[in-house]
Amino acid sequence: MEIRPILSALLRNKTGPILVAVQVALSLAILANALHIVAERRAVAQRPSGVVAEEEIFYLQVSELKNQPTFNDMVASQARQRDLLKAVPGVVAVAQTNQAPLSRSGNNTGVSASPNQLKVTTGAAFYVSPDSLIRTWGLKLAEGRDFLPTEVVDLDMNKDAYVTNVVIVTQALAHKLWPDAGGYVGKTLYFGTGKDAEAARVVGVVERLQSTSAEVGERAEMSIIQPIRRVSKPRAMYTVRAEPGQRERVIKEAEDALRKDAGNRVIIRALTFEKDRQDRYRADRGLAWMLVTVSVLLMLVTASGIVGMASLWVTQRRKQIGVRRALGARRVDILRYFIVENVMITSAGVAAGLLGALALNHLLVSTLELARLPAGYLVGGAALFLALGVAAVYGPAWRAASISPATATRGVV
Amino acid sequence: MFAYYFKLGLRNLRRNPVLTALMVLTLAVGVAASVSTLTILHVMSGDPMPHKSDRLFVPIFNNGPLEDYSPGDEPNDDQVSYRDAINMLAAGPGERRTAMMGVGGSLQPERKDLTPFAVTGGGPTRDFFAMFEIPFRYGQAWSAADDKSGADVIVLTRALSEKLYGNDNPVGRRVRLEGFDFLVTGVIDTWNPIPRFHRIVGMGPFDREDEFFVPLTSAVRHEWNNYGSTNCTGNAGPGYQAFLDSECTWLQFWFELRAASERAALQDWLDGYAAEQRKLGRMPRKAHNDLYNLTEWLEHLKVVGNDNKLSAWLAFGFLLLCLVNTIGLLLAKFSVRAAEVGVRRALGASRREIFQQFLTETAVVGLVGGLLGLLLALGALSLISLQSKQLALVARMDWTMLAVTFLLAVAAAVLAGLLPTWRACQVTPALQLKSQ
Repeated sequence: MEIRPILSALLRNKTGPILVAVQVALSLAILANALHIVAERRAVAQRPSGVVAEEEIFYLQVSELKNQPTFNDMVASQARQRDLLKAVPGVVAVAQTNQAPLSRSGNNTGVSASPNQLKVTTGAAFYVSPDSLIRTWGLKLAEGRDFLPTEVVDLDMNKDAYVTNVVIVTQALAHKLWPDAGGYVGKTLYFGTGKDAEAARVVGVVERLQSTSAEVGERAEMSIIQPIRRVSKPRAMYTVRAEPGQRERVIKEAEDALRKDAGNRVIIRALTFEKDRQDRYRADRGLAWMLVTVSVLLMLVTASGIVGMASLWVTQRRKQIGVRRALGARRVDILRYFIVENVMITSAGVAAGLLGALALNHLLVSTLELARLPAGYLVGGAALFLALGVAAVYGPAWRAASISPATATRGVV
Repeated sequence: MFAYYFKLGLRNLRRNPVLTALMVLTLAVGVAASVSTLTILHVMSGDPMPHKSDRLFVPIFNNGPLEDYSPGDEPNDDQVSYRDAINMLAAGPGERRTAMMGVGGSLQPERKDLTPFAVTGGGPTRDFFAMFEIPFRYGQAWSAADDKSGADVIVLTRALSEKLYGNDNPVGRRVRLEGFDFLVTGVIDTWNPIPRFHRIVGMGPFDREDEFFVPLTSAVRHEWNNYGSTNCTGNAGPGYQAFLDSECTWLQFWFELRAASERAALQDWLDGYAAEQRKLGRMPRKAHNDLYNLTEWLEHLKVVGNDNKLSAWLAFGFLLLCLVNTIGLLLAKFSVRAAEVGVRRALGASRREIFQQFLTETAVVGLVGGLLGLLLALGALSLISLQSKQLALVARMDWTMLAVTFLLAVAAAVLAGLLPTWRACQVTPALQLKSQ
């Protein structure tokens, strides 16, 4: 191959090739990092919540306009509302609850394996329900059992302290609390630390239940459930699972039933699991969308740069090409010349780009707390740009090869 | 001469149309990407009260339990406890002071054609309105006596007032909130600070707005729960009074000083207060007490997120790429005009004049690219604001950014044109003429 003459020709006229190489390097550095971030965000957004059939789940926040209701009033009213919801055709299960996974707002608590610890082991999302969240949300029990109806406590938030001592935890939380244990049922966890720490016995372990914030990292799966009906105001939140495809109708009928029951003196807010999920990852999707757009544009701009420069070189070298053709070079030789030249330039760009990608990644890791770039993106990016380079130069190179020796050499001084 | 070169530049846009179009488009896309992200960053990191942001202060005590503390740990919350809020309201220094909680509940309109609906608002003290210079459309803030007695008085926002009363002046009427009648003392005019700095914790910097305000003392008298973030490290115990007495942090506090120079005095006062509280057996960590002015506060709460910075960085990386690309294309465009330069030089044009002409031509390309980039940026911003309400709030083009767009585009193009222009000037007339 005629690498030596191509190289010395390149070195004699450096500006153009350098510009192309710089473009390739810049694009590669940005593209590798951008795609890595996109993939990372996608992975985060696609983590399972533990809730089966999210598209069948919705929530109703119900507040009644009652003056000075008594505790018993409120408990009775909530039981009635739940029965009304259960009676709506198409409802599979109903549970009263305090919060929803991925809703970005709710109760959290600190739990520890022993009250003698200085710090709590971890924070955890604190779900309470007098009904079965396992059944309503379709959580998968990995060990133990669901709560028994006799374990449910009605709690007057205005005067009672917590009294229940049973808890269901997620597998991730159980493993975090007792890393060496073979089984977790029967273990005792503590809310907080020190002498005030309240103990609770694990009766069940669910495979997975994401927290309200669905944080990035292990904290997303730190959740506990307790069998409590918390009452402080004539307000309650219900989570309902509808039959497949029935959700919208069930929401409407459920709202109507509750409204009728309260004589319209009620405010109802309906939310779906899907909406919560969408809101939780909105920013991530926005960023991913922007990065993909920028990546596509990067490729286009780089390709257009290569095409532009290659076209220019073809124009500049019409005469040389004509001479070479007249001296016996075949079309394929001309084509090869331009492609080899381009591969050399692109390779230099790719080499610089790999360093640039690592440097950029280092910067992102240290200042913006992003993750390290896996090698696959570098290899893939390098291959992509080499291919892009050949594809972009092919058109101009083909035009060069088509130059007929006669026209090209005409008028040569 | 400049006008002539300018015209020439415009005419030369049509020469090598593909190359020129590519150049303009590249430049436009680069400018659009950087300007739209820059606009969002600019709005997000804006100072909502530039004339007094150095006089508004947020105090934070490191008031957690001693057990899980190691020296140097940051405070575990960005709010203060009720006890500290009350103490600071009563005795703290400064021209104005306010503590704020979130209030939410049901509102029953007097009008029969409106069904009850849920509202959210804030529970500050009277000073809040003057401190943040909130404009009133009707009436005024409640009185100091109302603060003291925890009277059921309410200030509505313009939006809520219009929803309830249309364009009528509602001052003196009553609003039924959570089953209690509140007397309307005023309606504030449109007040839309960005970021929503006054109650970021629990409400978000670019999220919903407060719909009304009632005195903190009134909300507490009705034993309303905080609508926002509440952080308890210990067990508060049952009941509302126990919650008020606890070390749970759930209130946001603001001091307004007469001058920024009083900051040291305020810090001293805080330290003295914390020492006093320590004697009462509180604040066992003996950590330093933080004081943030408005801009420091926004920075501390990371109002401009890492993702926004990332977007801006990448967009500028992209602009850089576009510039490199433009340099290459300009080089191509100018290099085929060596003959023209040769003739002009031979006819007496100085290098300087050639330089001016080609640079002007470059500037024309930049101008056209800038115009197109501006249109693209506007399109991108409106696309972005369709995504969510929060983004709609920050994706707004203002005049500063408009000017920046143009300057950026033209400057970028001229910068990119320097090398090709210089190369074009290097043409030796004799050689060119000979080869013709």
